[in-house]
Order: sequence, then structure tokens, then C-alpha cells
Amino acid sequence: MKKFIISLIAAFAVFSLLPQKAKAQCPQKMVYACATETQSIYLRDFNTKLKNTTAAESGARWTVVLNKDAHYRFNLCVPEGFEKKVILTLYDSQHPEKTDPYGSTYDPASGKHYNSFDFVCRKSGMYYVSIRFKDGVTDKKTCAVGILSFVGSK
Amino acid sequence: MLKKYILSIICIVFFLYVQSYTLGCKNKDENDLNNLITEQDNTQSVVINEEAINEIISSFSSPVEMAALMNSLNVEFSKKYLVDPKLTENYDTNNKKAMALGMLSADLGYLNVYQRSSLIVEYLSAIKRLSDDLKVSQFFDFQSFKRIATSNDNIDSLLFLSVQSFQEMDSYLRESARSNLSLLVITGVWLEGLYLLTQVASEKETEKLRERIGEQKILFSMLYPILKIYSDDPYFESLVADFKEFQNIFDQVKITYEVGDPVTEVIDGHVVITQNEVSVVEITDEQLQQIISTTEKIRNKLIKL
Repeated sequence: MKKFIISLIAAFAVFSLLPQKAKAQCPQKMVYACATETQSIYLRDFNTKLKNTTAAESGARWTVVLNKDAHYRFNLCVPEGFEKKVILTLYDSQHPEKTDPYGSTYDPASGKHYNSFDFVCRKSGMYYVSIRFKDGVTDKKTCAVGILSFVGSK
Repeated sequence: MLKKYILSIICIVFFLYVQSYTLGCKNKDENDLNNLITEQDNTQSVVINEEAINEIISSFSSPVEMAALMNSLNVEFSKKYLVDPKLTENYDTNNKKAMALGMLSADLGYLNVYQRSSLIVEYLSAIKRLSDDLKVSQFFDFQSFKRIATSNDNIDSLLFLSVQSFQEMDSYLRESARSNLSLLVITGVWLEGLYLLTQVASEKETEKLRERIGEQKILFSMLYPILKIYSDDPYFESLVADFKEFQNIFDQVKITYEVGDPVTEVIDGHVVITQNEVSVVEITDEQLQQIISTTEKIRNKLIKL
């Protein structure tokens, strides 16, 4: 019995060391499906869990280096039922996330949601990508995946 | 009895340590890149925010983009630009292996983008060997890689798997307190990408290639200060000394910015945002030649170690 308990504890410890896919992020299958619908060259993904909390604190932010004259595509994929609740935003320090981002999958003026947008970059440098619940949405937790892909050179 | 009790305690402590470490790695979100380096007034020493460093390193991690750029500029494929995987067989330190892993990953990206599946297996084998040695091979499903590569079935899947595995491996290195190796992997990707670009430019220079090379100053200026942080390690010290040459050249390359508001259009129901804030690169012929020759020299030195 004691051996069993010790083995159990050891197994827990080993499990904790394994690569953490179990952060309630979207499954690989969903990431792949999202990546292949871009019809462009997959560069990287932004996979996150979204917690049941205020919009400003939900989701995550990543840094990404974008290059001048590259035409990029940002796609957002979420589980069914969350299409109008989650937003992917591209911004930098001169174009803040909340007030003046470069682009977003949500247009507050028209109230429309898009599952992707293209960005033709003219300035090489560091940018930010965030994926969060839309302001005012305090839903149950879910996951979301963003895909950055390369469409071409302008 | 006592022995088993002590063993249990050790297991529990180990478990708690791992859990606390894992939690401590999350929420990079809250860090600002401005916190990367803080100078202390009285000592001028440099305090490093490790999470901010990791954020910068992670922003680099696409081994495909340089190849995608070259492909879009109709640059022809050439195997001669790539690292010979056999050269990496005898590397004897983790630092050398991490650097080589980055370079081979960039080459794998190049092969993927140009759909050279017949060569991919050779590069995958070298990557497997290096990642086994660095204990990160769990992120690469090599059987699937080989099956797709040899059947030439779905090259897009191969590209996806390659990039995603690379991304996960890189994240894992950083989250398991091996940011130094992650940094070398990323440096390898960057350097090999620059090498590909400069080799092409040395044969057929175009204004776009010239500009792409000049603006590597931006990436270099992010990478170089972080490499310097680790220069207590002799491998990094030597790398930093070599990269000092890059710094001297890139210091002379001028990048200016023109302000403009982005334009958003909806084309066939698809949103396209065109940035009008423009970076302008001024690079002389001499500076370009210096970057080409320095890149070749440093990259070839590193792969022959």
C-alpha cells in the first residue's frame, strides 16, 4: 500500500514535469484546423485559455516581430458559441490595445466580428497580439487560438 | 519504514516545488518590455527581468519567415546555402547543439517553404539527434514527420508540425529555466536566416533584399543585449565578441520612421489593414558588403566548432 502511495506521488511529480499542454489551451486538432484555413504560410500560433473574469484580465498577450513589406494574416478560432465573445487585437506602444490598435477581429463602430484580418506591415519592429474576452463579456472559461501566417511580400 | 517515510516526504516536496515553478512561469502578460533592463544609479550594474527577456526571445520564434520572404521574392532554391547536417554530429556541448538546432530549424523551414521533401528527412534526423541530446525531442513526432516527408503527401502539414514543434520546444526550454539554450536556438535561427538572405543578396542584389538586410539591425539590437547578459559563459563570451562586429556595422545603418495613419479596407468581405507608418533603411554598399562577409564568417565559424 505504501509503495503504491509513494508511486502515486512520484507519478504526480513526473506528470508535472511533462510539457504542459494541460493549461486548458485549445487542442492541437483545433490549432491545425485554424492554421490550415488561412490559405497562407503558417508562421506561429497564439494559444490561450480564457478565464471567467473581467475582460481586461482575461486571455494573454504575446510579442511578435513583424517585417516591413510583409503581408500577414491573423486568424482567430474559438469553440462554437464564443464567436462573438472573443477578440484578437494587433497593437504596439504607439497604437495602444484599448484606444487605437492597428487591427482587431472586432469593429466596435459597426459591431461586426471577423474571424481574420490582413495586415500589410510597413515598419519592421516589435508588435503585440492579444486575445481576450470582449469588454463586458464575463462568460464561462474557454480557449482561443490565433494564427499568424504569411500571405506574401508587397 | 523511516526510509519510505523520508522518500515520501522528498516526493511531496519535489511535487510542490514543480507546481510552484510551473505557476511561476505563467502570466508573462503583465510584464512590460520597458522593464527589461533597469540601471541602478549608484553601481551602473544591470538588473535583468528574466520574463521580459523571455518575451523578447519568444517574439523571434518563427523559423519559416525568412524563407517565406525569399520565396515570395521569387528567389530560387539552392541547397548550397544550407548547413551540412553531418557537421553537427560531433558537437560536444549543449550550447553548440542549441545553436545548431536553431540553424537546422531555419534550414528545415527553408526546405518546407520550397517543398523539398526529399531533403527534409536528412535534416529531421539531425534535429532529432540534437533534440534528444538536449532532452526536448518529446515535442517532435519524428515518425509522423518522416511519414509525411517521404510520402510527399501533405507538405502543409509538415510545415505546420515543424513550426509548432519548434515553438513548443522553445517555450519548454524557457519554462524549464533553460533560457540560455532557448536564446542560442533563436540566435541560430536568426543568424541562419540572415545568412540565407545575405548569400542570395551577394549573388543577386535587389533593393528589397538590401533593405531586409539593413533592417536586421532592429532584431540584432534586441538580441545582442540579451546575449551579453550570459557572457559569463565562455561560449556566450566568444559569441558576443564575434557579434561585436555586427554591432559596429549596424551602428552605421540608419533607420528612420515616417508617420502615417493606417488605412483599413474591406476587400471581398475581408479586412485588410495597410500601415502607413513607414521605416526607411539607409545602408551603403560598403555596409552591405560588410554585413554579408561578417555573417558568412561568423556563421561558418559556428558550424565548424
